[in-house]
Amino acid sequence: MTGKSLFNTFAVLAICSLALSACGAKAPASGDGPKVTASGFTCPEPNPRMEVTSTELNLFVWTEYFPEDMLDCFSLVYGVKINQDEYSANEEMYAKVASGGVAYDLIQPTDYIVPLLIRQKLLQPLDHSRLSNMKNMDPNWMDRYFDPGNQYTLPYLAGIDAIVVNTEAVKDVPTSWADLWKPEYAGRIVSIDDSRTVISMTLLTLGYDPNTHDPAQLEEAKNKLAELVPNIKLFDSDSPKTALIAGDVDLGIVWTGEAFVAHEENPAFEFIYPTEGASLWEDNWALLKDAPHLDAAYAWLNYTMQGDVFWLTLRDFQYINPNLAAIAYAKENQPEVYSAYNDSPITNPPAEVLKKGFYSKDVGEAAALYDRIWTEVKGGN
Amino acid sequence: MLKRLRENKSAQGTLLALPTTLWLFVLLIIPLFLTLIVSFGKRSPDGNVIFTFTLDNYIRLIGFSSDCAAGQATCFDPLYLQILWRSLTLAFNTTVLVILLAYPLAYFIARAEPKKRSTYLFMVLIPLWTNFVIRVYAWMMLLRKEGAINIIIGTVAHWLGFNFVPFEMLYTPGAVLVGMVYEFLPFMILPIYTSLEKIDNSLYEAAADLGANAVRTFTKVTLPLSMPGVVAGTILVFIPVMGTFIVSDILGGKQVILVGNLIQRQFLDARDPTFGSAASLILMALTLIVTYFYTRKFGFGEEIVAA
Repeated sequence: MTGKSLFNTFAVLAICSLALSACGAKAPASGDGPKVTASGFTCPEPNPRMEVTSTELNLFVWTEYFPEDMLDCFSLVYGVKINQDEYSANEEMYAKVASGGVAYDLIQPTDYIVPLLIRQKLLQPLDHSRLSNMKNMDPNWMDRYFDPGNQYTLPYLAGIDAIVVNTEAVKDVPTSWADLWKPEYAGRIVSIDDSRTVISMTLLTLGYDPNTHDPAQLEEAKNKLAELVPNIKLFDSDSPKTALIAGDVDLGIVWTGEAFVAHEENPAFEFIYPTEGASLWEDNWALLKDAPHLDAAYAWLNYTMQGDVFWLTLRDFQYINPNLAAIAYAKENQPEVYSAYNDSPITNPPAEVLKKGFYSKDVGEAAALYDRIWTEVKGGN
Repeated sequence: MLKRLRENKSAQGTLLALPTTLWLFVLLIIPLFLTLIVSFGKRSPDGNVIFTFTLDNYIRLIGFSSDCAAGQATCFDPLYLQILWRSLTLAFNTTVLVILLAYPLAYFIARAEPKKRSTYLFMVLIPLWTNFVIRVYAWMMLLRKEGAINIIIGTVAHWLGFNFVPFEMLYTPGAVLVGMVYEFLPFMILPIYTSLEKIDNSLYEAAADLGANAVRTFTKVTLPLSMPGVVAGTILVFIPVMGTFIVSDILGGKQVILVGNLIQRQFLDARDPTFGSAASLILMALTLIVTYFYTRKFGFGEEIVAA
């Protein structure tokens, strides 16, 4: 093949791929008929329909954390283009938001980082009169310690960090966090790359408060954690399930949703709630102070809180669902999705797990120590 | 005015260099200066920069802790020096391996028929059309426990009746080295090829006339004349490897910490821009020192041709 015809082949390929992506793109919303997403999901009408003049909405969200259909439907129903940026650690999100120069509207902070965001005046209070669908949320997940009265945040999903085990590969299944230190697990663990969860878990095995401010206890935890590092094959917060499913590792310190998917792929994966108490968390929506598209942001919050929309999270991302209307809707209309959620001890954990679990809380001044321990422990191999 | 400019060669030169100079000043010199200021600052508990003048960040980098007076047994912790040393040795190993792999290929291409050369060079460049990160991810598929390499070896071993335990390749320092070598290979092939291709054929004929055998021709003619390419390639490979963090992040499972990872983590996860700035400047200084001594020994490439 001569150089020229080779070039022509590539040019044709390039044009084909352009044409393909054009075909795949969504048709613009037109007429009054029902809106259908690219995957064939019929979008529910907004209730109530809000006044939106913005044409864009900028989201800064966790990687792989909300349903594509939810996003497409909002775009179709309100004619708003959604720009999405992703992060895989609260600290990373905070660093970007605090450095300024970003034009995001909504972020998804986890409980413990919310007080810091409020203290640094990065959020704006929510106008509850524009959020009629707040009534759908489960009161158990509202009005929490990190934001009394939900002045700044609304719950999105909640979950648990615990131990996932491939019971085919691991004969001696761990029952506690302390078990993870066993030498036979050397190089067989994947851990989420989350400083707070992992350090808090270590503090717990030492019998300390998982949110301690005491430098001496933290120093002890650092040394203890350094002993765990040889057992950890990799840190991954984007998709820890991948290494588990691919067989690179046999145990994991992971989130609810990752464990659920791993279990779906291979029932040998079991989620173990450690005896010391699992790590609990609640992710939220929060509105940034300089949000450029307020009307679209409120419309998004209100639309996604509808039961007939939010149930999509039950279908796509298996976490603890704080939206009662969504659960009721799924029970009524999507019995399979509902029973998968309701019958799994991963998404519907026993009450005592929730009672015994711990939350990572804002530690104020001590945050610098936590960050430093994390750098030093992970760098020391 | 225009006429005067046409006559004034040095003014022409200034004018031509102006856009790049401005560019470098605004986007390199000023940020570098700001980095220097931040590196002397302190981190507030919430992760903001408090502007002051302290050398704490540099003291921490070389392994001493500033709050060490309290009579702790071990005040010295060489953690960050180890990270720097690890980056330095990895960059060195990568460069040596890349030279060993690139030189024969560049030689082959340079000695091929002129018509075929452009096809070969084109093939060297094709991988660069794919995004850097995607190419690293592709290595994950190859190296993992149930990845392509283990599957192939396992199948062959099975045929031959051997018992095969899959190799642990992914998330090891070796995986990071392989990834680095793969990513930076083209940047060595091209400069070596360029200098090999420039060698006049009559020099080889002269060497043969004077009775030099193949080995002697290579060591006395080819190698010295292609050194400018090797030097240029080394600079193009060594410096980026020192600072890259993506390869070690993905193939090392965030366990193989290089100085690039350390810096990136300070600005994101650890929220300590002051320490991150200090580490960036130390990395720059280290790279400059190594490059300085290297170029003093081997020249910057072209000098050797002139000499």
